[in-house]
Amino acid sequence: MKTTKILIIFCVLLSLQLQAQKYFTRSGITQFEASEKAFEPIEAINSSTTVLLDTNNGNIVSQVFMAGFQFKNALMQEHFNENYMDSYQYPKATFKGKLDNFSIVSLNANNSYDLNGVLTIKGIKKNIQTIVSVKVENNRIFISGSFYVNANDFDIKIPSIIRDKIAKQIEISINYELIEKK
Amino acid sequence: MYYYSIKKLFLITVLSVIPFLCEAQEDDLLRELDSLNQNEPKFELPAFKALQIGNLQSTKVVDKGDLYLVVAHRFGVLKNGIDDFFGLDQANTKIQLLYGLLPNLQLGFSRDSYEKTYSGTAKYKLFRQSDRVPVNVSLYGSVDMNSQLKKSLYPGLKTSDRFSYTAQILASRSFLEKLSLEVAPIFVRHNLQDLNFTKTQTHNQLLLGMGGRYKLSKRLSLNMDYAYNFSKNKNSLYKNPLTIGVDIETGGHVFQLLFTNSRASNDSSFLTETTGDWSKGEISFGFNIVRVF
Repeated sequence: MKTTKILIIFCVLLSLQLQAQKYFTRSGITQFEASEKAFEPIEAINSSTTVLLDTNNGNIVSQVFMAGFQFKNALMQEHFNENYMDSYQYPKATFKGKLDNFSIVSLNANNSYDLNGVLTIKGIKKNIQTIVSVKVENNRIFISGSFYVNANDFDIKIPSIIRDKIAKQIEISINYELIEKK
Repeated sequence: MYYYSIKKLFLITVLSVIPFLCEAQEDDLLRELDSLNQNEPKFELPAFKALQIGNLQSTKVVDKGDLYLVVAHRFGVLKNGIDDFFGLDQANTKIQLLYGLLPNLQLGFSRDSYEKTYSGTAKYKLFRQSDRVPVNVSLYGSVDMNSQLKKSLYPGLKTSDRFSYTAQILASRSFLEKLSLEVAPIFVRHNLQDLNFTKTQTHNQLLLGMGGRYKLSKRLSLNMDYAYNFSKNKNSLYKNPLTIGVDIETGGHVFQLLFTNSRASNDSSFLTETTGDWSKGEISFGFNIVRVF
């Protein structure tokens, strides 16, 4: 009898879990910058990042298509895809992580959260730890922040002839505005 | 008792599945994210790195606002050996500027030592290879003016006699990751011909250009192009042009090192006025240096 009760409670909890509340965007902005001073700026912006956040537990996933990164210089964009990111083989990068102790109820103005997760680029997984700012306005969730990655970590080979022109530490900035998923 | 143990077993099973359920949920989140994607931008590998395969035009067009400088050298035939240092003493040089005026449209201007030829060219990209179109298609046209002909030597020379034209349809496709092939139906018009070479009047000529590249690594490829001439007289001294070379890309530069039987680099001349014969070793070394600004 007792076990049946536990099971019922468990099932109820599970069903609650299944009706999780989620927020998402298809037009998140992901930028990166790998410029070295005195050389041509190396930066690009992707305005079609998809992001999905489960507000019950703070689980968050996001995805960018490499071909969606826009450079000022078209040739640089071609080289980015062809020579560095192998976009033909690895068309997208994904992130899967968690906003620690996230609670939509206690969110009001600006809040900082620890974001931990795994970034997958070119099929190589790397742990990422950073702090992002999260705020809620008109039932929209705004997430922004930045972190650094090493080109080395993702097997991005830079030929010696242009090694001085590309930063080894690449800054990735995110700016996402999520709306409720119904 | 037996009934109870079944229940217990069931509970244990359910409990043991929970961690997997949680795991599955996170993957569900990724799957749900996937379903959010609408039109996924796809990267199509460019068929060629440079604007020419070797001598033949490739389907690549200068991007809008980009300025390219192409310096091409074609040396003398190798077989003369050390006497003229494997042809280095007989260099023909073409200096060319190319500009991306509009998206998909490039204009070019050049001067080739061969017959002191000035050229104006235009290339327009019609299609890019994608899910919808299986090939890259570009249209190319050139006007070449021979400024070497002297009126003092040829009193009957008219200005129009100096001009030659080409019109080319370039179609290429990249296969798998490494191989790209191109075919190019070409029309060439010469207003003036040297009958000592052509034997008969063939002012209008049709050719089929063919070319390809095979990538040996990300920045190195093996290239080849050839054009078959349908119109030339079988006794003509002119040969079909064949070029074999490599592309070496280093960021903003592409170096093209090649061997060819043609001494000219401008379109109408290399296509229909090539005199070297590969089978007799009449091959020249040459290179194109492509620099983007």
